[in-house]
This record gives sequence, structure tokens and C-alpha cells, in this order.
Amino acid sequence: MEYTNLSKYAEELWLCARCGDCSLADKTVASKRDVFLPCAVKNVLGFEAYSARGRIMVMNDLLNDKIDLTDDVLQWLYTCTTCKGCQETCAATAEGIKLPEMTEALRNDLVNAGYELPKHKAIEESIINLGNPYKEERDKRLDLFGERDWPEMADVIYFVGCTSAYREKEIAKTTVELLDKAGVNYTILPEEECCGSVLLRLGHKRAFDALTKKNIEAIKKTGAKQIVSACAGCFRTWKIDVPKEGHSHDFEILHITEFLDQLVQEGKVAFRSPKPIKVTYHDPCHLGRHAEVYEAPRRVIEAVENVELVEMETNKRYAHCCGSGGGVKGSHGELADKIGANRIKEAEETGADLLVTACPFCHRGLVDGAKYGNSKLEVLDLPEFLLPFMVEATGKREVGENPLKTEFMAYLSNHPKIFDGLKKDAVIDYDIEGDRFHLVIAKKGQVVVYPIRAENADVELTFSKGAVRKLVTFESEEEYAKQFGLFFKEPTDDEWIKFNLRLNLVKLLMKGYRKFAQKAGLI
Amino acid sequence: MTIVKASKKHPLYEELAAIVGEDRVNDNQVIISSYTQDACHLTAERPGIVVLPNTVEEVQAIVKLCNRTKTPLIPAGGRNGICGAYLPRVKGSVMLDMASMDKIVTIDEDVMTVTVEAGLRWAELIHRLDEKGYKLGFRGPYGGNAGTVGGSTSINSIGYAASKYGPSTEGVVSLEVVLANGNIVQTGTGWKKGARPFARYSAFHDLTGVFLGDHGTLAVKTKVTLKIYPKAEFITYGDFGFKTLEDACAAFLEVQKRGLTEELNLLCDRQSTDTFFPGFLDRHSEINAMFAAIAQETDEQLASRKMEIVREIALEHGGKDLGNFAAQMHWGEMFNLVQPLYNNGFWLNTCHLRPITLIPELMKRDLEIFKKHKLLKNGIKWIASCLGADRAFATGWVTIFAPDKSKMELALKAWNEMLDATIDSGGCPYWSGLLWENRVLKTVSKPFLDTYKVIKNALDPNSIFSPHVFEGVD
Repeated sequence: MEYTNLSKYAEELWLCARCGDCSLADKTVASKRDVFLPCAVKNVLGFEAYSARGRIMVMNDLLNDKIDLTDDVLQWLYTCTTCKGCQETCAATAEGIKLPEMTEALRNDLVNAGYELPKHKAIEESIINLGNPYKEERDKRLDLFGERDWPEMADVIYFVGCTSAYREKEIAKTTVELLDKAGVNYTILPEEECCGSVLLRLGHKRAFDALTKKNIEAIKKTGAKQIVSACAGCFRTWKIDVPKEGHSHDFEILHITEFLDQLVQEGKVAFRSPKPIKVTYHDPCHLGRHAEVYEAPRRVIEAVENVELVEMETNKRYAHCCGSGGGVKGSHGELADKIGANRIKEAEETGADLLVTACPFCHRGLVDGAKYGNSKLEVLDLPEFLLPFMVEATGKREVGENPLKTEFMAYLSNHPKIFDGLKKDAVIDYDIEGDRFHLVIAKKGQVVVYPIRAENADVELTFSKGAVRKLVTFESEEEYAKQFGLFFKEPTDDEWIKFNLRLNLVKLLMKGYRKFAQKAGLI
Repeated sequence: MTIVKASKKHPLYEELAAIVGEDRVNDNQVIISSYTQDACHLTAERPGIVVLPNTVEEVQAIVKLCNRTKTPLIPAGGRNGICGAYLPRVKGSVMLDMASMDKIVTIDEDVMTVTVEAGLRWAELIHRLDEKGYKLGFRGPYGGNAGTVGGSTSINSIGYAASKYGPSTEGVVSLEVVLANGNIVQTGTGWKKGARPFARYSAFHDLTGVFLGDHGTLAVKTKVTLKIYPKAEFITYGDFGFKTLEDACAAFLEVQKRGLTEELNLLCDRQSTDTFFPGFLDRHSEINAMFAAIAQETDEQLASRKMEIVREIALEHGGKDLGNFAAQMHWGEMFNLVQPLYNNGFWLNTCHLRPITLIPELMKRDLEIFKKHKLLKNGIKWIASCLGADRAFATGWVTIFAPDKSKMELALKAWNEMLDATIDSGGCPYWSGLLWENRVLKTVSKPFLDTYKVIKNALDPNSIFSPHVFEGVD
């Protein structure tokens, strides 16, 4: 057996030193790293073979002909949700060992060699013949919206996706209603095809190119500049996979949570709950770890008046998977239900009245998980949650109400030399005792400061107000850097700085933080 | 539930399934594959079947079954050790994956102990204790995210806070073990029916010590009772550099003797510091060795004063104050510190203990080996670090990193010479395993080994627990 695709990862497979973090890591008090038993699949099935560490050992054994390729391997391979929780936990390489990519590479190898699950073959045929994986009729795709003529031209495409179109219809309906009420100039492709996500996840890549080309051509005809999806799977495919598979386009890809976040920030939409509600949020893996959108959905939820957002024990980059991704729902339904039930338990432990997510797959998986675990916790997708609370917008929201935050943001914008040495796209998040903003290195000598928390910062810096008051008085960057270092090394009760490294040390060094630390006198 | 079905070829499959249920026993090659290595490159035999026990009663039933059928039984913890200790020496063994026995049984605030199931991981234990306002003494090995309390205490692991509290085994008050005959024994004050496990030495000799560091050869540990301490909120940090390793070691020894730090970590040469913290010594061209010191106390003044004394000692020995960034990163990245080092390649370790005064001799020998094999020219970096341990000794952690498979052969050659140099220069491994066993057996005194064998034969006459460990590696 030739493992053509998996072999490309042979060095990385060899490098994995089996530290076991991807399988058994716990939140680390010292570094505020909130990971907790990251593999949702292993947490149900128990054996190491289901964790990333075990999977890498099995893959190495396959590459080295130490175990035989049997149906057991095929069954095992499709128990991975490719949620990327393991990779996010892994510090062994700058990017983390790429288990989701390896899994998809091995799936692709097996499919190419004729090893495939019958139901996956049926899914592929359905997508090729009907444009969706559910064996539903192509011309019924938009029936859920009733009789409606969609404009031929628009600024925005709402890409519905197969699951919202045929299974989780409320998500599509409520999304459309939200866009209508917000007065968005948008349309829907009358001949929308599956985005191809499921093909990539299952290793059936053959039909992906044709689908994507067809969708891109159809979108181009509308003149749209933005594609908005309420499906995390479609969003990830458009944003990450389509370019990676060699298809170029100029569209801006946004998830509905990002799009609504922008509308909220611009004061074009507003939401209010008539009574107080406590809500917790489940990060879809495709939206969070795969596309690094963590804050936008939270900002939208928190923008609803009378709503309190509480976090689960695992959240954001370390959130447990719902169990439905990577083909697991279709391949091993009971496993998906059990994982979903575990996630529901985490949500219940927060005391929330409601669990909100932002992906039709997660929504289905969590609803089924609640049923499996006999939980009465209500699960809603974000558009469903928001629509009843939509109220008349009152104009642009003021940002940077805290004058100290505004002053600090302006100071940093005017002193880009502070960040000399940092590479393009380095992201630093600032926290002045709860008030957040972030800074991105746009290019050498130029920084852009945003008044909101970063989606996925390299470093989070927490400042006391006293420290900020002092720092913004320095005219020279050298004096700033020196004082910055002193606040870290010799903090007082009123003037201090704390670090929270969100990337491992090696990756930080690659991004140029060594010079930054040297200027601050830290090293 | 089960996805990959057991092949049911192992002779004990049916009886094991009757004890734990089919979901928690499996002999399929896919499942077995994931229990064939730890965090080092060494390999041995594959287990014949893997079982996930949840209770001491299940462990007891499995042990009785193996004893009756004379089947090898291997207890395994987090399986991220770096000496191959958990890997079977014989075919067909039953492997106990203890990771699901991970509960905190009691936190006894009266006598300041915590009793945990042996499969609990150090990081989780620390975070649960932290929530209650307590800390451990020894915090866990550097791989404490996955490393378990039972696994570490079975192989004398050493790591965080050993500078003050000694290795993993020093904090143990009592053990619950399942013997080969199926008896469940509680050590320490546990000898007395109904007594809480609050003291280790009581009425009899130290039975706890018999099972610590046994490499799984004498019993299966099912519970461990550890000392706990009030959470200490005040932490002070210091980095100090020295022109020579000899000066650094003299200061290091003085700090250790006086018991000033929670953690004291020495980096023996510039290359080691650069591998750990690239760029850290760029502005200090005269510095060749450095140590990072961490003091932690319940009193702010005490924490500050201790670091002042460490500084005074360092300066008296010609040291230079380098700030505290390395110490802060070292402590703040607890349990996440070594994983980024894999970016340098796959590691080959020489973990052992040695008197602090013998550190320069080891470095001299190892540097000759590095030079002889032109390691840096071949892209093979190293870190030589030493963690203060207990009172006046230290770990010797000289690690080299093979950047890719093509350099592994050269790295292995150098590594083997380093292992010899370690033993020859006064080092004593803290664990054996595949890593050290042959070299240990070459130097062990016969009466010592014979005494161990007497104990082994008495407690495990059929040699079911980890057979052939301490007998040499092919």
C-alpha cells in the first residue's frame, strides 16, 4: 500500500515525541492555559488509539508496515472529528503537529486505493449528482424560503449550505430574516452547489474542484464582494480550503457572526432581550480553531441587552468538539451523540439558561447530544437566538468610552517604533483591567489598533491603570520600553504588567518577539 | 462503546471482558499500536491486550486472574516517561492503562494530605488543589500535563519544585497497592484498620518505600496519598549569570544547601541557554552559565528576602544579576516548557542525579563528545541543565536534539557516549527503564540486587508484574 499523501507528513510523524498533551493535558494554573482533556473522542472511547498521540503511533505503524491495513483501520480513521483540539494543544512545533491534515491525507490515500465506507461513497455520489450530500432534490434547495425572487446582482451573497437548506432550515430562515431586517443588499445563488467541505473531510477530493469552480462562477455573475455563511463548515471551506486547493477569488469571506458583529459595531442592528438570560456559547471547530474566529460571536451575544454570557470550562481555542465534525456524525452516530452529551454537560455546569452555537452541524450534534443525555437545555444557533431580540438600531456604538483606553490606543498608534522587529501580522492584545483592544503589525513601521479584543492574539498583555497612565507620558519609545520592562520585572501594587503567552516560545521568537523583549530589557 | 472491535485472540480476553466489560478491553492491533512507545525513541515488546480499569476492585480481579494464569501484567500511567519504563519485555502481556482512575479521593485538611487515584495527572491535581487553596510540594515532572501520580512515583520522577521538596517520591505519605496475590495493602498509618493515611512512618518499617520506584515490578499502585501545603501567593524570581560553570555551581550549591528556592535551574553553557531562551545572553558576552531561581512563600516579605539572599550568594560568587525574565517564563510555563524544545528535533536524554560539585566534570566530558561528533555543525543542538534537588544534589539533564531522521544515527552515537560519560563521572540514574538498565546492572552491587530479588520473589512469586525488568535489555 502506497501512502502517497500521508508520507508527506513522515518527518512530522517521526518528530512527535508522544508527550501526551493532546490526549491528557489539563488546565495549567501557572500559564492560565485552559485546556482540559482535549480529545473529545478519546474522552468517550478511552483507548489511546483515539487520541492524536495514539493516532500518530498508528500512522507510523502503517507507514512502516508494522500493522496491516484492515477494515479496523478504516473504522478507526473515521472516528476523528478533525476538530484540531489536539493541534491547538500541541507545542511540539510552531503550528502544532497537524493531525487533522494527516487524518485527511490518510483518508484520501485509502479512498484512492479503493478503501472507503459505503455510506461515504453514497455521499460523494449525491454531491456529484444532486449538489448536496443528503440525496435531496437539487431544485428543492431553496424551497424553505418560499416563493421569492432573488436579485441577480447584490453586494453580498448569503451562501446557505446544504445542512441549513435541507436539515437545519430554521438557521437559514432566521438568517435571511435577520439580513432582510438589517436592510442588507444581498442575494442567494439559485443554483448553489455544496461547498465541498464534506468531501475534503472524508478524503473524497475528486469532485471538489468542479463544485468550487461552478460556485465561484455563479458568485462572480452577481457582482458580490462578500460571501456570508451561517455554516461554520461552509465558511471554513471558503476561507481556508478553497484557496489552499488552488482556487483564487477576490471575495471577502465572512461568517454570519463576523458580519453581524460589524453591523452591531456600526450601529446598524441592535438586540434586546425582554428579560435577563444567561447564555453560554459553544465554539464550532470550523469557525474557531480552523478559522480563528472566537470573539465576534461573543461580542454579538454580549451586544444583546439583558444577556449575560458565561463561559464553559473549555472554550475558545481549547473548546471541546460537539462530536459531529469530520464525518463522525455520519460514520459513527452514537459516538457523536455521546460526545455531544458530554459537551451539553459542560454547558449545564455553567448554570446557563441557553446554549448558543454558530454552525448547523454543531447545532444538530448538540441537540442530539442533549437528547442522548436526557438534558432539557435549549440549544439555539446564533441567528435563531438573535432574531426574536432584534430591535430598532440607535446608531453607531461608541467605542473606547474609557478615556485611558482611547489615550493608550492613540499613544501606541503614534509610536510604532515600540514594535520594531515584530513581523507583519503579529497581534498583541491589550487589557487594561478588563478593557480590551488589540494591535496588529501592518508592515514595518506601521501598526493598526482596533478597539476590540483580538481573535487570536500572540500575546495578551494586562496592564494596571497606573502603569498605563505612566507609560503614555513617555515621548521616546526607548523610555517606554524600559519602563515596560520594569513594570514586569519590578511590579508594585499600583503599577504592573502581566503576560499571557498564547503561542509557544518558538513561534513567538519566529514572529520577532525577541527584539521586543530585548528592548524592554527583559532579555 | 466500542468502534474498533477486539480481535479476541488474547487467551484472557473473555475473562477480562467479564471483569471490566467489552468496552474497556481490547486486543486489536490498532489499539495495541498506541501503547508501544513512551516519549523516547526506545521500543520493546507490544502488549498483548490493553485494559482500562475504573476501580480498585477491577484491578484486584485482573491481578488475581493474571496471577492464576501466570500472565504478565504491566501497569501504565500517562506513558510520557522518557526511559521506556512502561514497555513490556515479554509478548502477550496484559497492560493496565490506569489513566481513567483519576479521581481525587479526599483532601484531608486536618492533616494536610490529598489522596488520589493513581491515574490522576499532576496538572489536574494542582489545579483542583489550587481551587481549594492548597499546593503540592513536588509539583510533578516537566511532563506533568499527562504524567500521572502513580506513574511518576513508580519511576522516581523528578521535576517542578524538587529543589525544595525533593523528587516525586519524597511527598508520598501512603500508598494503596494491589499485590500479586490479590491483597489490597495500605501503607503508612494505613496499616491500622480505619486510620486515615496521615503519616508515612508508623509502628512498622517503611513499607511505602518498598513500592516507590519499583518500576511496576512489585504491585499495582491504585491510590497515592501526598502531602499538601497552603497555597503560597507570593513568588519572587531571579536570573543570575556567571563567567564559569564552576562559579555557577558553587553558588548553586550554596543556595540549595540553604533551602531558599522552590525551583533552582542551572543552564550549564551558552549553547544551552540559547537553545532554551534564544537571544537571552546576547547582551552578556562574558556569561557562560546561569541559573534561574524561584522563591514562593505565603508571606511577601519572606519571598522577597529569600530572593535577596539568593542574589547576595550569586554576587558573592562573581555572579551577575540578569533580571528575572527566564525565571518568570520558566515558572509561568509550567508543564509547557519542554514541548517547544521539540522544535529543535527529536530528543535524546540522559536524565540522572549527581552531586552538584560533579556537574563541571560531566560538562567537560560531554562537551568533548559534542566537539568530537561536530554536533552543532550537523544541526544537533543541546541543552545541559541541572535542577536543584532536595538539598545538595541535582539532576543532570543533558539532552541533544536530532533535527531530522537523517541525523538520528549520529545523534544516537553521541548519546551512547554521553550515557557512558554520565555513569563514569559519578551520575546515578533516578529511573532505569530501557534507557539505563544495562548500564545500571553493570555497576549495581550484588548484595543490593539480590535483596531486591528476594523482595520480588516474596511478593510476586510468579513474576507477573513487569517481568524481566531489572534483568537487562537485549
